[in-house]
Amino acid sequence: MTALPANDIVGTKSSRRPTGLLLVAAPVLLVCWLIIWPIISAIIRTVWLPDTAGERRFSLETYQFFFSDQYSINNLMVTLWTTAVTALILLLICLPIALYLRFATNRIAAYVQGLAIFPMFVPSIILSYAFIRVLGPNGTVDLLLNAVHLPHIRSPYLTPWGPVLGLVWDNIPLTVLILLSGLGNVSNQSIEAARDVGAGRIAVLWHIILPRISNSLLVAVSFTVLGIFSAFTLPYVLGPAAPEMMGPFMQRTFRDLNDPTTAITQAVIAFGFCIVFGLFYVYSVAKNRAP
Amino acid sequence: MARALIEKRTDWTGIGFAAVLTIVIIFPLLVVGTWAFTNVWRYPSVIPQEFGLKFWQQTLARADVWSSITTSLSLSVTVTLLSCVICLPAAYAFARMEFPARNLLFFSFLAGHAFPKFGLLVAIAGIFLQLNLIATFWGVVLIQLVGTLLFMIWIPVAAFQSVDRRMEEAARDVGAKPFRVFWSITLPQAGPTIAAAVLLSFVGTFYETEGAWLIGAPQIRTLPVLMISFINNQPVIQYGAVLSVILWVPSFAALLFARRIISSGSFARGFGG
Amino acid sequence: MAMLDIQGVTKKFSTTMAVDDFSLTVADGELVCLLGPSGSGKSTLLRMIGGFETPSGGLITIDGDDVTRVPPERRPTGMVFQSHALWTHMNVFNNLAFGLKLRHLPKAEIRQKVEAVLELVGLSGYGSRATTQLSGGQQQRVALARSLVLEPKILLLDEPFASLDQHLRERLREEVRDIQQRLKITTLFVTHGQDEALALADRIVVMRDGHTEQADRPDVVYREPASPFVAGFIGSMNLVDGTIANNVFTHTGFTVPLTAADGQATLAVRPEALHIVPASGVGMAKIHRVTDYGTHAIVDIDLPDGVRLKAMVGEARAWTAGQAINLKPRAFAAYRDNVAIFRSLDNHG
Repeated sequence: MTALPANDIVGTKSSRRPTGLLLVAAPVLLVCWLIIWPIISAIIRTVWLPDTAGERRFSLETYQFFFSDQYSINNLMVTLWTTAVTALILLLICLPIALYLRFATNRIAAYVQGLAIFPMFVPSIILSYAFIRVLGPNGTVDLLLNAVHLPHIRSPYLTPWGPVLGLVWDNIPLTVLILLSGLGNVSNQSIEAARDVGAGRIAVLWHIILPRISNSLLVAVSFTVLGIFSAFTLPYVLGPAAPEMMGPFMQRTFRDLNDPTTAITQAVIAFGFCIVFGLFYVYSVAKNRAP
Repeated sequence: MARALIEKRTDWTGIGFAAVLTIVIIFPLLVVGTWAFTNVWRYPSVIPQEFGLKFWQQTLARADVWSSITTSLSLSVTVTLLSCVICLPAAYAFARMEFPARNLLFFSFLAGHAFPKFGLLVAIAGIFLQLNLIATFWGVVLIQLVGTLLFMIWIPVAAFQSVDRRMEEAARDVGAKPFRVFWSITLPQAGPTIAAAVLLSFVGTFYETEGAWLIGAPQIRTLPVLMISFINNQPVIQYGAVLSVILWVPSFAALLFARRIISSGSFARGFGG
Repeated sequence: MAMLDIQGVTKKFSTTMAVDDFSLTVADGELVCLLGPSGSGKSTLLRMIGGFETPSGGLITIDGDDVTRVPPERRPTGMVFQSHALWTHMNVFNNLAFGLKLRHLPKAEIRQKVEAVLELVGLSGYGSRATTQLSGGQQQRVALARSLVLEPKILLLDEPFASLDQHLRERLREEVRDIQQRLKITTLFVTHGQDEALALADRIVVMRDGHTEQADRPDVVYREPASPFVAGFIGSMNLVDGTIANNVFTHTGFTVPLTAADGQATLAVRPEALHIVPASGVGMAKIHRVTDYGTHAIVDIDLPDGVRLKAMVGEARAWTAGQAINLKPRAFAAYRDNVAIFRSLDNHG
């Protein structure tokens, strides 16, 4: 009775179907035009190339070029390396923080939570600037080391570690939030029961907590991989000129070299490397949310 | 368990986290803040030689700063308004109406999140190139509008759905017509959450760098894009510092208003947590 | 003045029949309780009268006007919802004034009407309170006032006290009864609580699977339930399946003389009408447990095949568990195919 849809209110019934579709049409069409079509078109454009006579035919030569070009391969490798290292460091940092926040209730915990979420409210471009001022040449760290007569650090600025540090900083909030939300599914009783039968803290973590949050861990990893694989701003500003990550590489190919087909090929290759994570991420989000 | 163990003694774990996070997260921003109010800071002094607002005047006197502030604001306002106009009615329809393929269409907004974002931008740019939308205002508007869709539909849908149907029926019962019910009951009830979504979309658009850089440059120069060129080419450190502080203002506003939503947990679930 | 007439109303939800060819006439000023288990269609029926669902068939008229397809905002009905459904973004005054403002009444008149209705529900001076500051009972009173202030012809209440505790529920239903009597407003009240129905109603309509099982005065429904379903739903009732042969009902040793044709039957006896006497020897049944409630006691009785009956006795100490007893129903009825085939003359012990 009451559980049944109440949208049966007289007068709206007859016009219901077309109205609903009409109202959602604009954003849906936008998604089709600017997300779904570009992806399809990107694949078509890169495998259906014009030959010398101007006629289009099936060809994989742009992909062959990418995988035979040492510079492109180096860029892909540094991207994979950055993604893997960043994801690993993020988990190593965020899992302890999330575990701590899950079980602590005092005011220090509230402060730690506030700090962990804070980077969400710092645009990455400001972060880049702060990073250079602190860790860059003659930055604050150098100043402090100099003041106590220690040698300069080897600055990570403009090395592959620059983007890694920046991306870790930038991704802490959502990783912590996702893990924390997963840890919310671990009941205190299940942990107390495990302690009751003699499990130590490590055993509780390994046998009770981690299995329960494995899905959240995968979601966090997927989200990070998707975000980092084609990150642009931080690698562009903080990373080395060569090899460069896929984001800046695509941008340079597209704008500076004015070679959209090659840039789109790089994009499709990036899609390929992320597709498993992307589908898993979308599946997890969708599972949690029915309209 | 851990709670009992932790609270009996001093919370060293917490103090450790707090100290490390303060140094790693707050300290770099304090350095930028300090630079913004510094007139002279020469190596190797640990603190600036002279504080002052000299570079605020100089930064704010630059034409490129003002034009990019204008660009950023007009872009964000346009995108947010357009997003409201197309997304809020759609969100209401998803929350309250039955129509064919409703679920499929609802989840279609996730499509953009299954792919690495910059790759997607390059693919879109490939299309814009054929349409001559590269380096135009409306090209950037479109690309940023797409970025707001998921937020601006999913959060308001949840907001509309959380409005008790009986409240709406009670309003019908005392004589309100459907539109009046929406205006006087549904919208005020869903209002705070929708306002937060609008704010998030404004702030998100304001800081959107990658689409603006790829599609808009060099003609459309937003504040973050200007900031990149300051970082890359500007020898005067304070310009970037002052611009950073200006740039942070919308984020600070978002911080004040959106805290409740973000700590509520439903936000993280929206990201699949 | 206001008469509600429901004729052959049907409501079908995709495959299920929520309300099936239902007819009822409610007289002016009458308070009718729709009583039934969840899923019996009583709320759906009420929502159709309020205009929140459209009947699949049939006719609903108020004072002779066909309102079957009239939207809720144009019906002379006022509904009080189970969850009170107060508008939390308005204070108490604005909740009550909203409907009056829609009717473009002058400000002074709105104020006067709101104050009058607040006084009626005992909440004078609460106008500027936020609805969230009120207790559950106060919120439900405001919801009632919100419907009353528009002076509806028909007042509809959809399990309005379901979320309140027992004590408050009893108090509020007395208040509702008083207000209804004073205003002489035609009222339909949906509930799944039999006490509520017995205490409030001029007439009870017992519903099951979308149709009426019995519609009658509370005392009649209680004393002469038309079917085993009504018998079991209203009050506490022992129902025993058995056979009638030669004017004797039998269920494994439990026998009751009556007058009815031979065949299968269901015997219905209220605990207060099931008289028990100590048996010498085995007896018809054995006492399983005696529960003392102070004013009375309930004796749980096991028939030889394990069927459990309840009897109400005045004095707990006269009985012990394990004791062999005989059963002497003083008032009972027998049903066959959902129809009463016999009622004892002494219909209430």
